[in-house]
Amino acid sequence: MKKFYLMLLLVVGMVVLAACSSGDEETSEGSGSEGSSSVDTITAWAWDPAFNIAALENAKEAYNGDGEYEVEVIENAQDDIIQKLNTGLSSGTTNGMPNIVLIEDYRAQSFLQAYPDAFHPLTDVINSDDFAEYKIATTSFEGEQYGLPFDSGVAALYVRTDYLEEAGYTVEDVTNITWDEYIEIGKDVKEATGKNMLTLDPNDLAQVRMMIQTNGSWYVDEDGSTPNLAGNESLEKAFETYKKMMDADIAKIVSDWSQFVGAFNSGDVASVPTGNWITPSVKQAADQSGNWAVVPMPRLDMEGAVNSSNLGGSSWYVLNVDGKEQAADFMLNTFGSNPDLYQTLVEDIGALGTYSPAAEGDAYAVEDEFFGGQQLLTDLSTWTDEIPAVNYGLHTYAIEDILVTGMQDYLNGAELTTVLEGVQGQAEAQLK
Amino acid sequence: MSQQSTKKGEMDLPVRLRYKETKREKTGVYFKKKVGWLFIIISVIAITIFNFYPMVQAFLLSFQTGMGGNLEFTGLSNWQRLFGDPTFIAALTNTSIYLLIQVPLMIVLALFFSVLLNDPKLKFRGFFRIAIFLPCVTSLVAYSVIFKYLFGIDGIINIFLLNFGFISESINFLADPVWAKVVIILAITWRWTGYNMIFYLAALQNVDKSIYEAARIDGANSIQQFFQITVPMLKPIILFTSITSTIGTLQIFDEIVNITNGGPGNATISISQYIYNLSFEYTPDFGYASTVSYVIVILVVILSIIQFRVAGEKK
Repeated sequence: MKKFYLMLLLVVGMVVLAACSSGDEETSEGSGSEGSSSVDTITAWAWDPAFNIAALENAKEAYNGDGEYEVEVIENAQDDIIQKLNTGLSSGTTNGMPNIVLIEDYRAQSFLQAYPDAFHPLTDVINSDDFAEYKIATTSFEGEQYGLPFDSGVAALYVRTDYLEEAGYTVEDVTNITWDEYIEIGKDVKEATGKNMLTLDPNDLAQVRMMIQTNGSWYVDEDGSTPNLAGNESLEKAFETYKKMMDADIAKIVSDWSQFVGAFNSGDVASVPTGNWITPSVKQAADQSGNWAVVPMPRLDMEGAVNSSNLGGSSWYVLNVDGKEQAADFMLNTFGSNPDLYQTLVEDIGALGTYSPAAEGDAYAVEDEFFGGQQLLTDLSTWTDEIPAVNYGLHTYAIEDILVTGMQDYLNGAELTTVLEGVQGQAEAQLK
Repeated sequence: MSQQSTKKGEMDLPVRLRYKETKREKTGVYFKKKVGWLFIIISVIAITIFNFYPMVQAFLLSFQTGMGGNLEFTGLSNWQRLFGDPTFIAALTNTSIYLLIQVPLMIVLALFFSVLLNDPKLKFRGFFRIAIFLPCVTSLVAYSVIFKYLFGIDGIINIFLLNFGFISESINFLADPVWAKVVIILAITWRWTGYNMIFYLAALQNVDKSIYEAARIDGANSIQQFFQITVPMLKPIILFTSITSTIGTLQIFDEIVNITNGGPGNATISISQYIYNLSFEYTPDFGYASTVSYVIVILVVILSIIQFRVAGEKK
C-alpha cells in the first residue's frame, strides 16, 4: 500500500511538472512571435526621484510627437531593477517588464549580451553622432545601437579654493595636472591646513577606474571580455598612485556613501575627485558657497593620458515587448532629438545630458555662484567631449571585486607585478 | 498494521459474512484514505510546484553555464570551477568561521540566559525576558545598519573606547579583516540569542520540578544540576536549535550585505552573498550560482547528519 501511494505522489508530481513546463513554452511562444501590437500605456523604470525620474517627468511634458499613449513612470531601486530584469528576461516571460528602462553603462553590455533578443534596436531611431562619442561604445552591440545615451558621468575635481589658498596655491595650479602633482599639492595642503586632500574607500575602486580611463584603458581588452590586468601599464600606474596617496597620508578613509558625503560637507577634505553628479551633494553645504571650484580631472602621468574621465552614467533602453514602437517614438521625441528638454533638465534638476546639440543652449552658460561664478555646465560639457572612449565590456564589477583584494595585498606590501598577475589568473579562471 | 490484523481475524468468520464485511470495510478504508488525500492534496501540489520542482530545476541548472538566458549543458564544469574559485573558497571559509564560532557561542549564551530567567525568585523576570527576546522582532536590515554605525570609525563604540582610554586611536572595525568578522559575529549573536532562548525557556517549563528537588536532597549543587539534569532534559531542543541555527548561519546574507558588503576585500563575504553577486551583481551566470547554492544544500545535509549522530537519540 505504501508503495502505491508513493507512486501516486510521483505521478501527481510528474503531471504537475509537465503542466509547469508546457505552460512555460506557451508563454514564450506567445510573447516572442507576434511583433507589433500597440498599447495604450507604456511604462518606464528608473531609480532616482531627484534625477532620472524627474527627467522622465520632464520628458513627458516636453514630448512633441503625435503618438497617443500614456507614459507611466515607475520608481524602483537600481538593485531591484537589475534583479527584476535578470529574473524576468531569463525566465522568458515578458509579463510585468517595462517598455523603457534605465541601465547603468557599466552593466549595459552584460544585459545586451546575456539577453540578445530582449532589447529593441534604436539604430534607425536616433542619430548616434548627436551624442558624446564615449557613450556609444557601451550602449551598442554587434553594430546595432540599443541605448539612448542619457546622463554624462564626466568626472571632475571639486576643490576647496580657501584651503588651497592657505597652502599657497591657486585654482590655476590644480588645473590640468597629473595625479603625481596632485599628491604633492595634497601634502602641502595637509601641512598648511591639517585637512586631508581627498577621501578613499578601499572597497570601491572608482578612483582606479577614473584614473585608467584618462589613458583610454579598462579592466578588459577591447573585446569587452578578456581581462586586461597583468601588464596593463595604466592599471599599474593607477595602483602605484593609489598607494602613494595612502603612503602620503593625504586620504581620509571612508567605508560608505554617507561618510563620503559627510567628509566634504563638513569641510574635512580639500578636494573631491568624482563624477559630476556629485554637484547637488557638494552644494548641500550652503555655508561653503564661493569656496569651491571645479577643474578637469587629474590625469595619469603617462604619454597619451588626457585630463578627462568618467564615472558612472546611464542610458535608456527600449525592451522588445508590446508597445516598443511607441516607446521608441517617445524616446525619439524627447531625449533623442529635443534640445529644449535638455535645457529644462539643466535648469530644473541640474542633470547634464550627453546630447551634443543641447550644449549650445543658454541654460548651460549660467554662472554658478556656489562655484565662484564658474560656468560649470559649459565646462563639464567641454570635458565630456574629451572623455576617452573605452569598451566597459561585461565584467566591470566582477573584476573589481577581485581587484579590491589585490589592492589590499598590494597596500600591505606585496609586489605589484605579482599582485596583478595573481588577479589576472583569478579573473581568467572566474570569467570563463 | 491495524488493517492486516483485522484481515487475519476475518478468516475465522463464515464465508458469507466474511464477504460482506470485507467489502464494506474495504470501501470504508478507501473512502477514508481518499478523504485524507483530499485534505492534504492542496499542500502536496503546492509543495511539489513551489518546492520540489524548483529544487529539481536548480539541480539541472547547476550543470549548465552561460550568460543570462543563453544556458547550455556543460556537464561537471561548474563543479570543477568551484574548487578552483578563490572567491568561493573565501566565502566558504568565512561562512565556516561564522558557523564554528557563532553557533556554539549563541547556543551556550541562550542556554545560560534561559536558565537564569527561569529562576522563579528572579525579580523583573518578564522585563529581562522581553529585553533579550526583543532583538528578534527587529528587521534584519534595520539592525544591521545600526550595527554598522555603532562600529563606524566615528561610531559610538570608538567614542566610548577613546573616552575611557582603552585605545589611543579609533579602530576602523569594518575596514579590518579580523574586526569586521568579529562585528558580524557580535551582530548575529545579538539578534538570534533571544530567539533560541525562548525555545529553552519553553522546554524548561516542561521539566518536572521534583527532579531538581530530588537532586537537591541528594546534595547536588546547581552546577551539577545544570549539567546532569537541565542539559540532558533539553537535549532534543538543543539539537533542534543547533540545526536551525546552523542552517540560518549557512544562509547568512542580510547582515553581511548591510554591515560590510563582504569587505574589506573578501574578508567577510558569505556563500549566499556570493550567489547573489553571481546572479545579480556580475554578468548573470545562474548555472554557476545554483551550483554554489547546492553546496549549501550538501553542507546542511552533512552537518545535520553529524549533529543527529552526536546529539540525537540512539535507536
